[in-house]
Amino acid sequence: MKQHRTIAVLLSIVLQGLGQIYNRQWLKGILFMLLEVAGFIYIAPRLGGAIWGLVTLGEKTQKFVKVGKMAQMVKGDHSIFLILDGLILLFLVFVLLGVYAWNITDAYRSGKLRDELKPVRTFRHSYEHATTFYFPYFMLALPALGVLFFTIMPIVFTVMLAFTNYSAPDHIPPAKLVDWVGFKTFTDLVKMKSWSHTFVGVLIWTIIWAVLATVTTYFGGILVALLIEQKGIRFKKLWRTIFIIPYAIPQLISLLVMKNLFNGQFGPINQYLGYFGLGGLPWLTDPFWAKVTVITVNMWIGIPVSMVLILGILTSIPRDLYEAADVDGASTLQKFRIITMPFILFSTMPILIMQFAGNINNFNVIFLLTGGNPAKGDYQFAGATDLLITWLYKLTLDNNKYNVASAVGIIIFLIVAIFSIWNFRRSKSFKEEDMIQ
Amino acid sequence: MMKKWLGVFIVCVLVFALAACGNTGNGSNNVSAPEASSTPAEPGGSNAVNEEEGELLPEDGASLVIWEGKSQRAFVEALAQEFTEQYGVPVKLEEVENPDQVTKLTTDGPAGLGADIVVFPHDQIGRAASAGLVLPNDWFGEETAGENDPNAVSAVTFEEILYGYPRSVETYALLYNKKLVPTAPKTFDEVITFSKTFNDPKKNKYTIMWELQQFYYDYAFLATTGGYMFGSNNTDKEDIGLNNEGAVEGAKFLASLKESLLPLNTGDITFDIKKGLFIEGSLAMDINGPWALADYKAAGIELGVAPLPSINGNPTTSFSGVQGYYVNAFTKYPNASKLFARFLSTKESQLRNFEMNGTIPANLEAVQDPKIQNDEITKAFYEQFSHSTPMPAIPQMASVWGPITAGIADIWDGGKDVKASLDNSVAQIKDAIASQ
Repeated sequence: MKQHRTIAVLLSIVLQGLGQIYNRQWLKGILFMLLEVAGFIYIAPRLGGAIWGLVTLGEKTQKFVKVGKMAQMVKGDHSIFLILDGLILLFLVFVLLGVYAWNITDAYRSGKLRDELKPVRTFRHSYEHATTFYFPYFMLALPALGVLFFTIMPIVFTVMLAFTNYSAPDHIPPAKLVDWVGFKTFTDLVKMKSWSHTFVGVLIWTIIWAVLATVTTYFGGILVALLIEQKGIRFKKLWRTIFIIPYAIPQLISLLVMKNLFNGQFGPINQYLGYFGLGGLPWLTDPFWAKVTVITVNMWIGIPVSMVLILGILTSIPRDLYEAADVDGASTLQKFRIITMPFILFSTMPILIMQFAGNINNFNVIFLLTGGNPAKGDYQFAGATDLLITWLYKLTLDNNKYNVASAVGIIIFLIVAIFSIWNFRRSKSFKEEDMIQ
Repeated sequence: MMKKWLGVFIVCVLVFALAACGNTGNGSNNVSAPEASSTPAEPGGSNAVNEEEGELLPEDGASLVIWEGKSQRAFVEALAQEFTEQYGVPVKLEEVENPDQVTKLTTDGPAGLGADIVVFPHDQIGRAASAGLVLPNDWFGEETAGENDPNAVSAVTFEEILYGYPRSVETYALLYNKKLVPTAPKTFDEVITFSKTFNDPKKNKYTIMWELQQFYYDYAFLATTGGYMFGSNNTDKEDIGLNNEGAVEGAKFLASLKESLLPLNTGDITFDIKKGLFIEGSLAMDINGPWALADYKAAGIELGVAPLPSINGNPTTSFSGVQGYYVNAFTKYPNASKLFARFLSTKESQLRNFEMNGTIPANLEAVQDPKIQNDEITKAFYEQFSHSTPMPAIPQMASVWGPITAGIADIWDGGKDVKASLDNSVAQIKDAIASQ
């Protein structure tokens, strides 16, 4: 006896909600049906245009027509809006298809209940069931829609741009159209000499920067924290306060101040060096020293964070471990290597990984301190200290090379994602939750 | 019971959320639907009526937004008030610095978020016009073309269509402190002679400065000896003259100044540092434009302005620019916008802007005004203006600044071979143009 479930499923396939009505779930069926009708009314007339838009990215360009003395603008197709509209519609179709699938499984389930001669849930019953057992799913449905349209869709949109030629000055809508070019932007990044040279150079510096910035602030933080926590150090609170101050000043301000401090000719730092009879250094104007400067300044900003973190961890290390070590006659270095460091590493590994990923995209320090400068003659739209992320900023906002920027963005994402996943999988913090204790 | 009602509520929200998504899609669909795209923009009908009456009237209920730089705020606000009194159209000012406007308009304009009236230097007109972001200056076209300096008019014209409403012309000249330099030097040799008694980098005393990081200023050195940006009057994107013989000669001269005049790196001179030094009297001469006048006058300096010192006996060629108002192509109120752009750029307005901010009018009658004729500073700027080249306006301009600035930095900071550095910059520019 599988009659009911088959008929219900078939009816639901034909028209969403019909199976529910067949199962005598009137209200539910009508709601499903209304949703499908509304969806059809909305999507049917637009789907053709949306697909046409996504495929062609527009055919007509905007122009001006003289009407008497006035020039009238005749609107053309805006390729970028076409992509967006097409995406929105496709996502909507996707959501409605999900509801359609849900409708079929629901019809099947109710049909099965009838086949087994059990009573079908009434609407009221369904609600009670749903709100009791599926309440979290109901609550998550709205955020899920939000995530779909406000998180996933922009990402898909950005990724799609990398496969177009959306760049100044020849392909900026509305007066000009954008075309799909496939992987050309990516191949240009690798093949065209000036692009690939810049890309590789900036990429290498980005990785060097991320490693150095993470390592220096991390170990700097450990060092400062250990020093402050040493027995016999007085004014501990004062030290902590002093070291946390750089973190408390907004970077936007402190970095711009730093920029002036490090000015090669007029900055106080070189002036002080001058008083001691030392020649000044080209802090921000020499490619090598500029790199040293950004790392140094980043330590000034980053060490407080690690310090606070590690101060917290130090207090959680059981004292008796050290006492036992003392009894066994361990040296200070041994205690640090065998007790303190594993504790710190275990607790901070996830944060360390996030800091590394964050440093790859550390826009503030570079942009505010050097602006990517000093300029580099053989780089395309980039300077010696530009990270991928600041290069990307220059590409989009200064030069309107949206397609290249998008391709670079995808590459940055891949790098960060690969590093993070690889690290997460390797770090013990996530494998053995009770490694210590 | 509570749970049940909550459930009903959630379902309602979900349904509305779907409906709401639908609505947003609907709104933007006007643009994408192929049928809709062939109809002219809406206000077409009302324009025709106005035209018969021979007068341009603002749309009913129009209100305008204008983007302008900080220094122009007082002027724009004063005129906006008069405009509102006359036409009943309120105007709001949003601060956007002129060089950033076209970039912002590229994305904000078509999305309907841009200001109705924008202001930018003419070198960006090619970018803006070829992307279809600005409306032609049609209604007031004849007046604009007739009243303003022909060079200024051609600067705000792109491919024979007049777009702009000129606000002011500008170029840089030699600003000097009369206390330190009684008479302005005529040649760079005189500058170097003067520097021997004045320059003292240890005490931060400098003879002359300009923003080395901005090729806008460095161009003068390359151009005076025969370099140029683009061929055939700055319109031929294939012909780049930044590494020809003249440019190399000029760049060599430029490089020679590091030793004698400015032993600094390019990145160390910023607009603000230079301003500070000039105001405190540690800098005798400053290559700067009219935009710096207000600050210097306010600081009480005995300011003199002269044309740039000549190089090898030739008058130094500077870059000149024309600031103009433009109407956003996507404005909801094109008539009101055109009226206001016109209102801001008439002879009277240009003169008022001169009085308030020291900007140099583009209006021919305004130039003849005794206020300007008797103004030593403005006269000096005009003299320099006569030796200037308008910045190129073709869209490929955007690809030039980065590479050539880097090339100058290589020469000045890195002491690299002049010819090789310039060749490299030009190769970069060509690559950038090719990958468009």
